[in-house]
Amino acid sequence: MDFFFNLFSDPVGFWNSHTLLISQIGINGIIATSMFLVLYSGQLSLAAPGFMAVGAYTSVLMELYWHTPFAVNIAAGTLLAALGGLLVGLPVLRLRGVFLAIATIGFIEALRLGVILNVPITGEGLGLKHAADPLGGVPIILVSLVVTVFLVWRLTKGRLGSAWSAIRQDEIAALSQGINVAQYKMIAFVFSALLAGYGGALEAHLTFIVAPGDEQYGVTRAVQILTFAVLGGSGFVLGPLAGALIVTLLPYIFLQAGPYINVFSGIFLIAVIVFRPQGIVGRGGLAIVRPAWWPRARARAPSPG
Amino acid sequence: MLLRLVDVQRHFGGVRAVDGVSLEVNQGSIQGLIGPNGAGKTTLVNVVTGYARFQGGRAWLESDELTGLPAHRIASLGIARTFQNIRLFKDLTAIENVLIGMHTRRRDDTLAQLATLPLFRSDERSRIKDAYALLESVGLPHSVGTRHAATLPYGDQRRLEIARALALRPRLLILDEPAAGMNPAEKQGMRELIERLNAEGLTILLIDHDMRLVMGVCKRVAVLNFGKKIADGTPDEVSTDAGVIKAYLGTGGDREVTSAPGASGVDEATEVEEAAVTSRAAREPDKAILDVEDLTVSYGAVVAVRGVSFRVAAGEVVALIGANGAGKSTILNTLSGLIRPESGTATFDGLDLANAKASAIVRHGLVQVPEGREILARQTVLENLELATWARRDGAATRKRIEDVMKRFPILGERRALSAGSLSGGEQQMLAIARGLLARPRLLLLDEPSLGLAPQMVDEVFRAIEEIHKEGTTILLVEQNALRALGVADRAYVIETGRILLSGSGDDLLHNPAVRRAYLGG
Repeated sequence: MDFFFNLFSDPVGFWNSHTLLISQIGINGIIATSMFLVLYSGQLSLAAPGFMAVGAYTSVLMELYWHTPFAVNIAAGTLLAALGGLLVGLPVLRLRGVFLAIATIGFIEALRLGVILNVPITGEGLGLKHAADPLGGVPIILVSLVVTVFLVWRLTKGRLGSAWSAIRQDEIAALSQGINVAQYKMIAFVFSALLAGYGGALEAHLTFIVAPGDEQYGVTRAVQILTFAVLGGSGFVLGPLAGALIVTLLPYIFLQAGPYINVFSGIFLIAVIVFRPQGIVGRGGLAIVRPAWWPRARARAPSPG
Repeated sequence: MLLRLVDVQRHFGGVRAVDGVSLEVNQGSIQGLIGPNGAGKTTLVNVVTGYARFQGGRAWLESDELTGLPAHRIASLGIARTFQNIRLFKDLTAIENVLIGMHTRRRDDTLAQLATLPLFRSDERSRIKDAYALLESVGLPHSVGTRHAATLPYGDQRRLEIARALALRPRLLILDEPAAGMNPAEKQGMRELIERLNAEGLTILLIDHDMRLVMGVCKRVAVLNFGKKIADGTPDEVSTDAGVIKAYLGTGGDREVTSAPGASGVDEATEVEEAAVTSRAAREPDKAILDVEDLTVSYGAVVAVRGVSFRVAAGEVVALIGANGAGKSTILNTLSGLIRPESGTATFDGLDLANAKASAIVRHGLVQVPEGREILARQTVLENLELATWARRDGAATRKRIEDVMKRFPILGERRALSAGSLSGGEQQMLAIARGLLARPRLLLLDEPSLGLAPQMVDEVFRAIEEIHKEGTTILLVEQNALRALGVADRAYVIETGRILLSGSGDDLLHNPAVRRAYLGG
C-alpha cells in the first residue's frame, strides 16, 4: 500500500523513484492501442511482439553502426515495422479468428527463434548493449501515448472506423454494403504494426540492452498484450489502455502477497473475466467502478438534427 | 433491361447448384424467383452478388459486367441485397447500421477526423437525417434508431436490413426470403413495403417461398428446380405450368394437383361443396391415448399457443398443419416436457405431461423426433443409433433392436459406418426417425420431417411414416407441407397464430379452400 500512498502524498518523489514503471506503462499503453486497432477491425492478431522486435532492433542497430540521431532511429524502426506489417499481412489476413492468432504466433516465433537468435548482427541470444539514455525518454513516451490514443480514437469515429466496425460485426454483411473488407483489414493491420514498431523502438531505449527473451518478443508477451485488451475491453480505445495500466501495476497492487503474488494476480484476472466478460471499459462505460449516482452513459447513436 | 444473366453456372463438388441459368430483370419491375428448397435460388443470388465465383456464364448490370467482380465492387455498382438469415451488425444501433450502408457514397474524411476539423460536421448531420428518413421509409419509427439491432423484433430486423440496403441507393434490390417466418399480418406489411419501393422506381428481385406473396407482387416470375430454370413468365403462366406444378407442389405424391396454391383459376365452388361433406373419421375419438385440454404456452410476453385442445386415439395418424410460426413446434415441445405450459392440461396414457420430467415422458413411450433432425454429424450412423439406446444398454437385445431398425431403413444399414453428416437430408431424417423408434415409442411426435428435403426425398420419408404407422405406432405429425401431411393423416388440425382454426379428416381438409386461405395467410 505504500506504493499508492506515495502516489498521493508525494507525487514528485513518486515520479522520480518510479520513472521506469511509468515509462513501461506508457509503452504498454501504446502497444495496447496497437492491439485495439486490430481487434476493432475484427482481427485476432497476436503479431505485435514481432513488430516491436523489428522496431527495437532496427533502431538499436542503426544507433550502434551508423550513429544516426535518436529520432531518425525510432522513425526508421517504426516504418520498417509497418512495412513488415504489410508483408506479413498479405499472406495471413486471409485467415480469421483462432487461425489468424496461430499464424501470427508463427510469425513472432519464427522471427525471434529463427532470425534474431541466428543472425550474428543481432547479438543472437546475448542481445545488444547500447548507450542511449534510458530515462531521458519518459516525457517523449507519455506524449507519444497521448497522441497515439487521440489519433486512434479519432480514426474510429470516421469513415475508416465505421468500416472497421462493420467488418468486426459481420464481414459478409460489410461486403454487401460495398466495403472492401480485405483492404480495410490491411489498413488496420499495417497501422497496428506501425504503432507496435514505435512502441518497441521506444521500449528498447528504456534500458541499456535489447535481448530476445520470450517475455519480451515471444508468445508470453503476446499473451500479455492480449490480456490488456481482454481485461480492459476492446470496444473502446480506452479499454486496452486501462488493461495495460492494470496489468503493468499488478505486481505493485499485490506487493504485500510476497511469493503468492502470481496467485493473487491470477485470481484477480479470472474475477474480472467472470464478472465483466466485456472488459472493464465496456459499452455503458466503466460499469464496475461507476457509483450508482453517476449519470448513465447516453446511447452512443446520434439523434437527428 | 437492368440485370442480364447468361448461362450462369455454379457447382459444389458434384452438385450442380446453378446449372446454366439465364435471366433478365427489366428496369422498374419486380421479378420473382421461386423454386422448391435446394433449387439453387440463394446460390444464384450469391453468384450474382459476388459471394460465390462464376464457374460459367456472364452477368451484366446495364452495361457493367459483373462476372468475376468481388462482392464489394458489385455492391458499389448498385446491387444491394438482404440475406435469408438476417445479417445485421447486431451490436450496433439501427441508425449505425443504416449509416454503414452509406459507406460507398461517403467522402473519405480520415484526415479531417484526425485533425478534428468541423469541416464534415454538416455532412454527418445530413447523413444522419438521411438515415432516419430511410428508417421511416421502411416503416420503422424514429425511436428504433438508437436501439441495438439485436434487440429489435424479428419483423423490424427484416425491415432494418432493407433500410440498410436502400442506403446504398441501389439500382437493383435483391430480397432473399424477406417474409420468411412472418405471420400473415407481417407478410401483408412486407408486401405493401415491396410494392411501395417499386412504385418509387426501384427494381426488385424477390425470392420467397410464399407463393401468395410472390404471385401477388411480381409481374414476372422465374422458377428454378435443381439448378435449372424450368419456367419464366407472368404469375398466371407460371402457376398453371405443368412442369412448375410438378416440381414445386408435386409433393402431393400420387394425388393430382391442378393448380398452385395462391394461383387464380381454381374452381373453388367444387372444393367448398366437397368440404361440406363431413366424414365420420373427422370426429374426435372418445377414447384417446393423448388428451390435450385448453393448452396455453407463452414465451415471456409472447403467447405462442392459445387454449388449444385436441385428442389422439391409439393407432391414429394426426397432423397439425399451419404456416411458420403458428405454434406447432411449441405444442410438440410442450408435450415432450421441454417447455412448461402456462395453463391447461396434457395427458398421455395417464401421465400428466405438464408436470412430468422429459426423461419420464420418454420412458412412458412418448418420443419426439425434433425439427431439424439434430443428429450428431461427426458420429457414424451406427454410433448415432447406439447413443440413442445408451440409457438402457442391455447388450444383445439392444443390438437386435438396432438391427431391426436398420432393416426398416435399409439405406441406414448400408451406410452404418459413414458419418451421419455425409448423408443426404432425407437420409438424415430417416436416421432421426430411426433413432426415435429405438426408444420404442407408443406415440411418435414428428416435427417437420420434410423440412428442407427435395420432393423425391419427401416421398420417401412419408412412405416410411406410413409404414411405421402400419406397424402400430401412433403418430402426431407437425408439417408445413400441408398436402403431404393431409395425405397420410387420419385427422388433422389447422393451426394459425396459436389457435386451432379447423379440424377434420385428412381428406376433407385436403379439399377445403379455407385451409388454403388459413395456410397461406390470405
